[in-house]
Amino acid sequence: MSADQPTAPAAGTKVFFREAIIRALREEMTRDEWVVLIGQDVAEFGGPYRETQGLVEQFGRTRVRDTPVAEAVQVGIAVGAAAAGLRPVVFITYMDFLTLGLDPLVNYAAKIRYKTGGQLRAPLVVKTTAGAKGQGVAHSQSLESWLMTVPGLRIAAPSTPDDAYGLLKTAIRCDGPVVFIDHKRLFPTAGFVPAGEHLIGFGEARVRRPGTDLTIVTYSYQCLVAQRAAEELVRFGISCEVIDLRTLYPLDEQTVVASARRTGHVLVLEEGQEVCGVGAELAFRIREALPAVRIKRVGARRLPISSSPILESYCIPDAARVVETARALVSGTET
Amino acid sequence: VIEHLRKMMLIRAFEQVLIALAPGSFQLLSAGEEAVAVGIAAGLRPGDQLLTSGRSIGPALACGLDPKRVMAECIGKVDGYCKGQGGRGHLSYPTGGLFGAHAVVAGNLTVAAGVALALQARHRGALAVCIFGDGACGSGALHETMNIAALWRLPLVLVCNNNRYSISTRSEDALAAEHPADLARVFGIRSQLVDGMDVRAVTAACASAFAAARDGEPAFVECQSYRFNSHSTSSRESRPADEVARWRERCPIEALKRTLASEGILGHDELARLEAEIRAEVDAAAEFARRSANPDPAASLYDVG
Repeated sequence: MSADQPTAPAAGTKVFFREAIIRALREEMTRDEWVVLIGQDVAEFGGPYRETQGLVEQFGRTRVRDTPVAEAVQVGIAVGAAAAGLRPVVFITYMDFLTLGLDPLVNYAAKIRYKTGGQLRAPLVVKTTAGAKGQGVAHSQSLESWLMTVPGLRIAAPSTPDDAYGLLKTAIRCDGPVVFIDHKRLFPTAGFVPAGEHLIGFGEARVRRPGTDLTIVTYSYQCLVAQRAAEELVRFGISCEVIDLRTLYPLDEQTVVASARRTGHVLVLEEGQEVCGVGAELAFRIREALPAVRIKRVGARRLPISSSPILESYCIPDAARVVETARALVSGTET
Repeated sequence: VIEHLRKMMLIRAFEQVLIALAPGSFQLLSAGEEAVAVGIAAGLRPGDQLLTSGRSIGPALACGLDPKRVMAECIGKVDGYCKGQGGRGHLSYPTGGLFGAHAVVAGNLTVAAGVALALQARHRGALAVCIFGDGACGSGALHETMNIAALWRLPLVLVCNNNRYSISTRSEDALAAEHPADLARVFGIRSQLVDGMDVRAVTAACASAFAAARDGEPAFVECQSYRFNSHSTSSRESRPADEVARWRERCPIEALKRTLASEGILGHDELARLEAEIRAEVDAAAEFARRSANPDPAASLYDVG
């Protein structure tokens, strides 16, 4: 990294989540001149979460483009540009607003390879931010399970700076559409990112903490919640394995099932809704592979996510709910 | 101009043969709107890309796609341009200048802006053209697309094929502006209103619009046309019979034939020869499509994502 890029993380050190994203974007934009960034406030402002800081200065305004507040055309233009030879990363500040851009993503990008008989691909990344952090009913949702139902979409949801770096690089090089989901509560977190360039493959879950009695399967910010809960569960004599899925599609069923086979108990944890959620899909797959394993799920309660801190924390899973559910699961007492 | 007539006659004859070949199939037909497709295609150059709505048969044949493979695609056979996976609603052959049809109303507009952005970056001088109906004009996608096309000076031409109805809803009941073309002006986009039943008028309007767009000045062309059939092969006809009859009197193909005859460009024998050639071409297309294999479901899994 040259000295005129003050926000660039020093390679091989502890960096903030957003800095890992900047590093991945910078490396990929340097490697491939057709990678472009499209989004609200991504140019001189440096991104809503300061996750594009310094990039317009380095790559110019033809490659780092501010857009109007118009998600349909933001996603649509990225999809069309991808199909015609660019590799756009389009930024949707809040995942809630991806709803406005779902038509080009779901009806076009996810279908283009199939519907053209393989003549066209849409190598774009939709980078968006999910999760609750005090901003209320329309700025807090985690809608990733909707996306899992769409053939043709890949979904990455990292929990650490290193995974954000490696998965974003893989996403940008992927020949089909990828939704890359980060989380508001992850931006203040930091972690070690090794110096050398490295990619993280899709469909490779990571065991964050080994354990013998219970497997917690989760992703994104809830990995941190799961690890706090696992720490707490030690006091109750429960040894918890925590699996970070890292990508939701493709889904690393093998790692999950192998862990479930050892522990015999699985708690699936997500910040999105339980109904038709990531956990529901996982639970079914685990049950098919291992009929005897006991499974419980924890997700958002079925209500909107208020900006009131009390109501938000009532809705969203926290370590206490995970601990309570885990104890009931392992002890065999249903709650 | 004889070539324009030939293409328009080909589109009309193709659709008649398609309906006979696959009587129950769901198709959106272009009869009545051939002059719009042919006039647009006349201005395209190699490297340009055309995007269109699901009413795609006219635009595809006007672009010069092989009627055999278009026919196969329309009935879901493996020799279609998209291996039968896209169908008429999603016909695509970018190599031949048809980036693709997309059957979501207004769904191809933002995508076309993206194609224009990629062309601006990678193929200066090339342009993207998007055809959409009057039914798309109340959609936010059109307004978002015009705004960004003007801001980013995209090489994009938006062609509204105003056939006056979206299924049963009259344009005046769906759009507050008097003409779709009026919408473009507020964005500083040059716009023209032309008779979509007159292939020469469409050709001329597109020629100037395309020239401007190649220089980074996006343009809008509204072609006033009329579809001779109901919305689709499965929709009820709701328009007044006398209105339909009146517009049929203005058939763009018959009008061009008359003009060419009066100008001494097209003789009776020549027209008969043209009709016979086209008849043979569409019959061969139908036979090709009929003989083409059905797609293999297992192979279709390969093209996901």
